[in-house]
Amino acid sequence: MKRYDCMKALAARLKDELVILSLGASVDEWYNAAPHMREASLFQQQLGCVTPQAFGLAAGLPHRRIVSLDTDGGMMFNLGILATLGNEQPKNLFVVVWDNEMYQSIGGPATHTAFGRVDIAAIARGAGVDYAYTARTIEEFDEHCAKGLAADVPYVVVAKVAGSVQPDIKRKHSDGREDKYIFVRHVEASEGITIMGPSEHN
Amino acid sequence: MKQSAVDAVIRGLKKAGVSIVCYLPDSLFKELYPALDADPDIRTIRVTNEGEGAAICGGVFLSGKRAALIMENSGLRASVEPLARMGLGAGIPVVMLMSYRGELGENNWWAIPHGITMEPVLNALRIPYRVVTEEEKIERAITDAYQWSYAAYYHSAVALGGEVVR
Repeated sequence: MKRYDCMKALAARLKDELVILSLGASVDEWYNAAPHMREASLFQQQLGCVTPQAFGLAAGLPHRRIVSLDTDGGMMFNLGILATLGNEQPKNLFVVVWDNEMYQSIGGPATHTAFGRVDIAAIARGAGVDYAYTARTIEEFDEHCAKGLAADVPYVVVAKVAGSVQPDIKRKHSDGREDKYIFVRHVEASEGITIMGPSEHN
Repeated sequence: MKQSAVDAVIRGLKKAGVSIVCYLPDSLFKELYPALDADPDIRTIRVTNEGEGAAICGGVFLSGKRAALIMENSGLRASVEPLARMGLGAGIPVVMLMSYRGELGENNWWAIPHGITMEPVLNALRIPYRVVTEEEKIERAITDAYQWSYAAYYHSAVALGGEVVR
């Protein structure tokens, strides 16, 4: 199963959602797989921060569906967030974990999930996230996307994907600061709120 | 902490517009956490480590709500990586309120590292902070931290020490 194909399937289901995603090759893949979601997606920069940040966004916008596109390396970096989700039970957070069993962006050394013993979906269930599954085919993945995007409990799908990267795709040029402004202005416009307003005159 | 100091913290948070607090409990603020849990205007989120709390606060910022990360100052060390990435890499601010463990007057050997490292770590990250040891200065310190962080889009911190917490 290719991550890019999964992204295309997920992207086809998204419209008004907000997305937080990880660093590495998945950024450029998402940029191309979901061009209509570029302004609604924030490309986070750190292992362990993606799902916590998505949860914070979900807590602040409880009426809005938030999608976290995390990774095996990222989730293993901070498993505690699964326990926090288990306790907090956000009604509007769908978590996808791209599990390619490697640290792809630095050349592919194995992560802990590569050895057949570590099961992130089982860890999530043990942490109190009852709806946590592993998908190995596009059909399974797409079905979980449909359910996860409609769920009123936290929903996790671990997508077992190949270590390959979609070839010949357009690179995203913006950095974290520009990404933040683009994302914040999109949230402001779509929510009718001010997050980063004008300076005071004094 | 005296009840009056707890009240001053909550007054300051509300005046600054905070509606979500992430915390990992500690002993010096032990009276503060249940008061926050009981407050109908503030949602508390208990986290497993302070770095996770910092990242959640960053997400809350992106929603337009205001969050605070409340912790012992040792939590600052656990938060350094997400704070550096979010603050310096993207300009996503987190406002922190921490108890000043390890300052003069500390009587626990295990807390000494927290006092020795807190201010150098804040300085390394270029995070402005105020150490407050008088109850009447708590509220202003908290609102000043939010004013600054929402002008700079960078982190700020208030450390409560001295008679406020002992």
